Amino acid sequence: MATTKTTPRERWNTIHKNGPFPLKFFLSTKMEKKNMMPNPLDRYNDAANEMRRLLLVASNQNHGFRSFGARWSMSSIAHQKDRMHFTANLNVKIAIQPSDMHGNSPYQSDNLHLLQCGNTIKETSFYLERLGKSLKASGASNGQTIAGCISTGVHGSGIDVGSVQDYVVGLNLILGPNPQDVVYLERHTKPALSNAFAAQLNARVIRNDGLFNAALVGLGSFGFIHGVVIEAEDHYLLSRHVIKVKKADALALADTLDFKNSPIKIPEKTDAQGNPLRPYHYKIYINQYSNEDTVPVELMYKMPFDPQYKQKFGNPIPFMKEFVYRDLIYLLVKISEKFPKAIPKFVKALSNSILPDENKVIVGKLSEIFWDAGYQGKAFACSFGVDHANSSKALKVLTDLTNNEGPVPGIFAMRFIQKSDGLISFAKYPFTCMVEIDGIIWEGSDKIISLEKYAQRMIEVLQQHQIPFTIHWGKNADWEFPGLADHMFGADAQKWMDYRSALLSQEMAKVFTNGFLKDVKLDAYNPNADPNLVADLST
Amino acid sequence: MKTPKFLKILCVFLSLLMLSSCYSVRMKVTNGFGPELDDTGFDDEDNEDPARGQLFRTIDTIITVKTTTDENPVNIDACESGALHTVEYRSTFGGVLLYLVTFGRKRKMKVKYVCVKDQG
Repeated sequence: MATTKTTPRERWNTIHKNGPFPLKFFLSTKMEKKNMMPNPLDRYNDAANEMRRLLLVASNQNHGFRSFGARWSMSSIAHQKDRMHFTANLNVKIAIQPSDMHGNSPYQSDNLHLLQCGNTIKETSFYLERLGKSLKASGASNGQTIAGCISTGVHGSGIDVGSVQDYVVGLNLILGPNPQDVVYLERHTKPALSNAFAAQLNARVIRNDGLFNAALVGLGSFGFIHGVVIEAEDHYLLSRHVIKVKKADALALADTLDFKNSPIKIPEKTDAQGNPLRPYHYKIYINQYSNEDTVPVELMYKMPFDPQYKQKFGNPIPFMKEFVYRDLIYLLVKISEKFPKAIPKFVKALSNSILPDENKVIVGKLSEIFWDAGYQGKAFACSFGVDHANSSKALKVLTDLTNNEGPVPGIFAMRFIQKSDGLISFAKYPFTCMVEIDGIIWEGSDKIISLEKYAQRMIEVLQQHQIPFTIHWGKNADWEFPGLADHMFGADAQKWMDYRSALLSQEMAKVFTNGFLKDVKLDAYNPNADPNLVADLST
Repeated sequence: MKTPKFLKILCVFLSLLMLSSCYSVRMKVTNGFGPELDDTGFDDEDNEDPARGQLFRTIDTIITVKTTTDENPVNIDACESGALHTVEYRSTFGGVLLYLVTFGRKRKMKVKYVCVKDQG
């Protein structure tokens, strides 16, 4: 049987030390050993029973309960002051067979895989690669668990691909301690798995586009995500190019995403007429403290998989990767706190380490291009989603703020993602530009603006300039900013709460609520939510 | 009193020896299922390890062998996956000195390692 170790703890922290946060109990569940329970589906269902038991204990003790994976979020979204549950050991992977498919499914069975919540992006990629498959997209690195990714909306810069949640086609949720609380959700317009397969998960099936899209980016509050069904694709390669271009051209391209008519061109990535091809990925790096009129941009193009790629292009993963000493970084930040005017000089001095190498084409699999993160110390990131047509305007507003009221120890970047179907996904525009600043956590004082104040001012200046925006759920922000969720999502924020209220009992909604949800005012429970919201619309 | 020259040279030599003999090297596999994550929930505020969040195990011991024998591989049975993801070997001055004065019979072994995550 799956077993859970419960340990009293006083605090919990994220990988990037954005806490510490108070905690009462830390829970870690281990699956039954394979030699005792060889069938992966049996182990999966055994873990489901254990999860129901844990939810019963939490509910009986009037405690909140939150599962988390790899602690990558920088906001407090993964934190719950009562009970936090570590899921990374729940990592069953099941390849879907043709006989498991729904009769009207538009998917190919060999692309579908049921992943238990604790599978990381790295292990999922390796699992898929051995089957000749690949994820469609990932974040900039690979440490997050699949459930954590979709709960917070982890994205890369796949212009025409979308975020991690956008290739999820089924969700297995556990809503409470009872057997009927195990549900399998998918879209009624795009069913994936048969009822018989869902029955093997002991799950009742709800096919409902609206509910599925609401639960897709569920902020960890739509029940316990036990498993997700993802759609993979045939393996492929990415060729990564970094070039310096005129800042004006890079930003004009951001506003239009009209690659064909852009002066930004990689000679070997053009069509028969010599026009630039549309890349898989486009990213702009901006040092807001520099007056240079050029910026590095990163372009990636999809290529068919070639087993000889390492011989032809070299190993995409270097033999050794060097990083700036963490103590040196911390020292520079300490100096910056006393002498903020030194920050632009430090950023310039470290730019070779922060910005990508130019003139070096790298070819590799998705998992090799977006590989292990090198830095896992204290870090902050503020990331705003805007319609790509507002990209340069938003960047100017935010960099002006940083220059006028900063400086702060970080630099900006812009990435682009296709619209997500998730009801409260921050990728809500047809093409969302994520304008983000990443850097090292610092302490505010009368000499330097605090992160909290900076995050608040970022929202204020975007509002003042009437630039609609969203914020990455897993990044730093002033999450208590008045009316933030309504401002970002309008009526969809209430709709999301209605779906949640219709799906969860009031008692369990409380269990799955945390401080973050309260901060963003998405915790309201509507006891009169329309039960049709969670109706099975299977045809 | 003037310090004899040979003492100065000895001091410089020992300092250099200490500096050069205290280092660590870390290696990890590039492919594979990734590292086992730390499931203890213990948050060490001061932990600045670049692999923070992974479940590190440590072997800190002294291996004793006879003059006429050599060590067999040190056996590790902690990895449920049966595979190592990261290994860090640390060399210290004390370890080198111990090896020298015991003519190789005692060997300081300080190794940190992370297992590959077991596949459910």
